[in-house]
Amino acid sequence: MSAIANDEFAKRMMLLAQPAEQFKPTATYDPDGDCIEFLAKPDAFFAERVDDLVTVYYSQETGEVIGSLIKDVSAFCRDMFERFPGFRIEIQAGRVSLQHIFLARLWTERFARDDLTTLTYRKLIEVSGETPIEGELSCV
Amino acid sequence: MGHAKECGIIVPAILQHPTAVFEGLRQDEDEDRRGYGWRCYCGIPKHAYHSDGTARSPYPGQVYLVFVNDEHVAYNWRWKKAADDDPNLPVGHEARFRKRLL
Repeated sequence: MSAIANDEFAKRMMLLAQPAEQFKPTATYDPDGDCIEFLAKPDAFFAERVDDLVTVYYSQETGEVIGSLIKDVSAFCRDMFERFPGFRIEIQAGRVSLQHIFLARLWTERFARDDLTTLTYRKLIEVSGETPIEGELSCV
Repeated sequence: MGHAKECGIIVPAILQHPTAVFEGLRQDEDEDRRGYGWRCYCGIPKHAYHSDGTARSPYPGQVYLVFVNDEHVAYNWRWKKAADDDPNLPVGHEARFRKRLL
């Protein structure tokens, strides 16, 4: 590994970037980290932890929910399979929609209807839409 | 493009000129997903970046954090709300890290 100057490093990063107008919502499963990172917009964001499953990303520009990080996906799915065997039906060929994960969490926890956590999950369900998750979940 | 500029410009600047460095992560959300988190470098960069890559002033009341693992690899970086009593430190830093090095 060799050191490179700051300017050269910045240039290399720029080459990897895609223009904001070409951005598409993405959700990627990282098997090494057993997590799913979801980004609906290319805005700069700050992160706030919602609970032990989800960290939500808020746009610096608008304050809107624009993404999330879901940790320990395999453990969550295994827990869901034990408690609700029907959840397995939602996973086909190692793929599950983000909406189902967020919805499953809402259904299994005792959040109040107007609780901030509930509202955040509802917003995530709305924002994630039909975004497919890239990568095959290892819990299946 | 904004994310690329954060990675390409802000992250090296914070690592080279931090205003504070903490060692020992106490919160699971800060941990490296592939190994063990170790240090957190903090600072306020000269610029933040819009999604199209244009520069703007840093976000008020926020500090930039760069997390480095025990193999000296930066594995996470992001804006975080700053502490009320010190704009150079993240909110809740007392409980978030084991000790402050700088």
